[in-house]
Amino acid sequence: MPSGNKHPYPFLITLGTLGCLGLLSFFNNSFSIAGHTLRPLDVLADLRPVEAAAPADSVAVAAVPDSAVSPLERPVDYTSYTGILDYGYNTGRQGTGMKGFIDALRALRAGHRKKVRIAYFGDSMIEGDLITQDLRDSLQANFGGKGVGYVPATSVVSGFRTTIAHSFSGDWMDYHFKNTPPAGTELGISGHVFVPAPQSWVRYQPVRRKRLNEFNEVSLLYGRGRGDVSINARHIKLQGQARINAYTFVTDSTERAVTLRFNSEVAAPFYGACFESSNGVFLDNYSFRGISGIELGKLSRRMWKDMQAVRPYDLIVLHYGANVLFLPENTRFDWYEKPMVKVVDSLRRLFPETSILIVGTADKAYKKKGKYITAPGVKALMKIQHNFAESRGMAYWNLFSAMGGEGAMARWVEGDTALANRDYTHFNFRGASRIGALLYKAIMDEYEEGQL
Amino acid sequence: MSFVENLAQQLLYNPEEPILFNSAFFLYFFAAFLLCYQLVRNHERGRVWVFTLFSLYFFYKACGAFVGLVVLSAIVDFYLSNRIYREENERTRRGLLWFSIVINLGMLFYFKYTNFFIDIINGISSGHISPVNILLPIGISFYTFENLSYTIDVYRREIKPVERFLDYLFFLSFFPKLMMGPIVRAADFIPQIYKPYVLTREDVGKGLLLIMGGLFKKVVISDFIYQNFVQYIFDDPTRYTGIECLFGVYGYALVIYCDFSGYSDMAIGIARWMGFVIPPNFDKPYKSSSITEFWRRWHISLSSWLRDYVYIPLGGSRKGKWRQHLNLMLTMLIGGFWHGASWNFIFWGGVHGAALGLDKQWKKLGLLKNAGGLKARLWKIGGVLFTFHLVCFCWVFFKCETFGGARDLLHQVAFNFQGGLGLQLLQAYPKVFVVMGLGYLLHFIPEKAERQVETGLVKLPLWGSIAVLTLFVWFLNEVKTQEPMLPIYLQF
Repeated sequence: MPSGNKHPYPFLITLGTLGCLGLLSFFNNSFSIAGHTLRPLDVLADLRPVEAAAPADSVAVAAVPDSAVSPLERPVDYTSYTGILDYGYNTGRQGTGMKGFIDALRALRAGHRKKVRIAYFGDSMIEGDLITQDLRDSLQANFGGKGVGYVPATSVVSGFRTTIAHSFSGDWMDYHFKNTPPAGTELGISGHVFVPAPQSWVRYQPVRRKRLNEFNEVSLLYGRGRGDVSINARHIKLQGQARINAYTFVTDSTERAVTLRFNSEVAAPFYGACFESSNGVFLDNYSFRGISGIELGKLSRRMWKDMQAVRPYDLIVLHYGANVLFLPENTRFDWYEKPMVKVVDSLRRLFPETSILIVGTADKAYKKKGKYITAPGVKALMKIQHNFAESRGMAYWNLFSAMGGEGAMARWVEGDTALANRDYTHFNFRGASRIGALLYKAIMDEYEEGQL
Repeated sequence: MSFVENLAQQLLYNPEEPILFNSAFFLYFFAAFLLCYQLVRNHERGRVWVFTLFSLYFFYKACGAFVGLVVLSAIVDFYLSNRIYREENERTRRGLLWFSIVINLGMLFYFKYTNFFIDIINGISSGHISPVNILLPIGISFYTFENLSYTIDVYRREIKPVERFLDYLFFLSFFPKLMMGPIVRAADFIPQIYKPYVLTREDVGKGLLLIMGGLFKKVVISDFIYQNFVQYIFDDPTRYTGIECLFGVYGYALVIYCDFSGYSDMAIGIARWMGFVIPPNFDKPYKSSSITEFWRRWHISLSSWLRDYVYIPLGGSRKGKWRQHLNLMLTMLIGGFWHGASWNFIFWGGVHGAALGLDKQWKKLGLLKNAGGLKARLWKIGGVLFTFHLVCFCWVFFKCETFGGARDLLHQVAFNFQGGLGLQLLQAYPKVFVVMGLGYLLHFIPEKAERQVETGLVKLPLWGSIAVLTLFVWFLNEVKTQEPMLPIYLQF
């Protein structure tokens, strides 16, 4: 081993390494070993001339409503429009876009009806009442109404939800989209059905926030069969005939909280409780994490019908997309499109008069060459969602462009005040609040437009 | 853009891409630097000039015009310490020292803490002073402390001030330690400037191991588990169960250690290659069986700085038991505040301060003096586990931006643990947990194994070192460019 001063070694090692890496970069070094493809190595990447940007994707096709009664005077590009696009005029049956819902709001304002209800379906983006709490609050502030709407029996995010204090015993059996309920136990539209054990309990308590600080009308949603439940100290018997039934009572002003104890050995399945006041706008948050929306196809036609009889909705919102984009570079969503169109079609058939709003996917960013950029799948998914909204005469709101379009998610995450999480998918409470406000404004624009 | 334009762009400061040790740019920078250093290797002044110019350029690439602050603070402290040294009058000396302290801390406070105090004032007086938009100059926390220790040492007549300004600027701007320390003492560093540049095989091998080890810790362990798991948990703890949060914290303990010590190791390794010996900054801190031991192993250059320039001047343990506890507490509160301008950091320091005090009391009880054999070993293991979890508890506050976030996370661990999901959790993030396991395994392997790797590297011929480093960088590229994994829900 040679001895002496080795001062040139660091230089030679570094130079030699650079040389070897440079050589590797010139050859195609992205090869596969045992099924694992190595990532390309390019130490000169930063110095290479930048290639011209690829031409914009062909999805940017203008949406041109084809009806003469269209209130849209000029064609609007759905890929960039930030308001609600109402395609209700396409189907011939007016009102199925936003109109039915807007008319209901007007009737409420004029005193011709007492309640307007919204069912807001979504994935983890709306979990814990995110987005929906802000939308509900703004609508109730404007049109009246108090109460948080539907709350399930148990929830994985009960600690996270700030619009109601919710606790429950650990012995509930929760059947849902991701496990298989036994025959005869049917999933509710929330995607859950809760079967109580003999001593199961659930406790709801209002929170100190405007319009949420006391309970008024409470409805217990339960399934077919007998039930035996005590509400605080009061004992009642339930007898369910339909797939879903409601037991409604007005709370005693001396008791803030509602504790339900389920006593009988054989109990009717429980779906949750709804909190409302005697009139106003009410919004039910139906969040189910990890789903793409096609799971709604698992619900039976009869369940939807019975639910609509017990709790009629004037607007159904479908807000999905995050779980369709789990492979950011994928732009083919056949697996999603077909079953989702089926879901939408069956909703349209079941509720021909109800307004349905499709909230398009939010922006989702992924890391490419060290930077977070909009995933290519976003626009492809946006197109699919827009197209079924358009062809089925529904309303469509482009959340992607409402939040700022291309690159918005990266800005929302990396801005001085973070509005979204580091997964570059989910909004935090601040971002969700902003989305809620944007959607409220979009709805109010529709409301005011017709009044002019 | 053409090649030449790109090259020019690359050489200029870009706020979006500050220089990092693990970037391709650094490799070019380092090669150019080593070439120039070789050319002047027999010339002491030449070495100082080359090193200083490259360091200042490195600073510029890291934080743009803020490079001026380093030069400015070097001028001020060089001048003041020389004045202090020559001055005979004790009162003037003291006055000059305070002047230097006020300037150094004033600069640090302006850049780092202005908005924190605006917040407090707004809180107290319910006023509405708008926060100012101040960028934090990179490395300011480190070189401020280096300036302070230098001036104080000169004041205490423990060292003679340097005679040439350039030597002081060289010490302060030394690029390997710029971003993340260690905090180097002038007394240890400056004499090494005047030694001839001689490297042994051992220096080369040890330097290489430190550089590769540091990069491994930073890129393979820290960045990987942070980006693919830990950040999701800390972003929104309430969306995850207690067991996910707990493993998120275990992950973060490894992330912060590997990040911090990885940078330190790279700095020490690069310095070693340039003929400078800097003492280790981290010594397997999670092996500690008490919190006192932890602080002897964690960020050693900071804890010894705090000991010498805060704890001892406050009176240390010389003024009775209660003063000692108070001094410990104050020292750790200052240490916490140094890490960042928020109440969370202060709280973090406070818990450590209280724990250090309790540990001192516990040791005085001497319960384990006569324990031997199995009993002593069990106590030791218990001590390691307890210390680790105490440190982890504190990391929750260190990492979370607000108390609310820390509370949410601890709440999930305490009240929504869901231990039954453990296996599912491991299956959901297999790569992350393999890397995490590897990280902790490497932390706890005996010193001997490490020495063996070191001996192997020392014995490598030149081409062998090149081959090892090439393969290693290739491997880093593979890890660095992996597509991030997305969070997975375990519960519905």
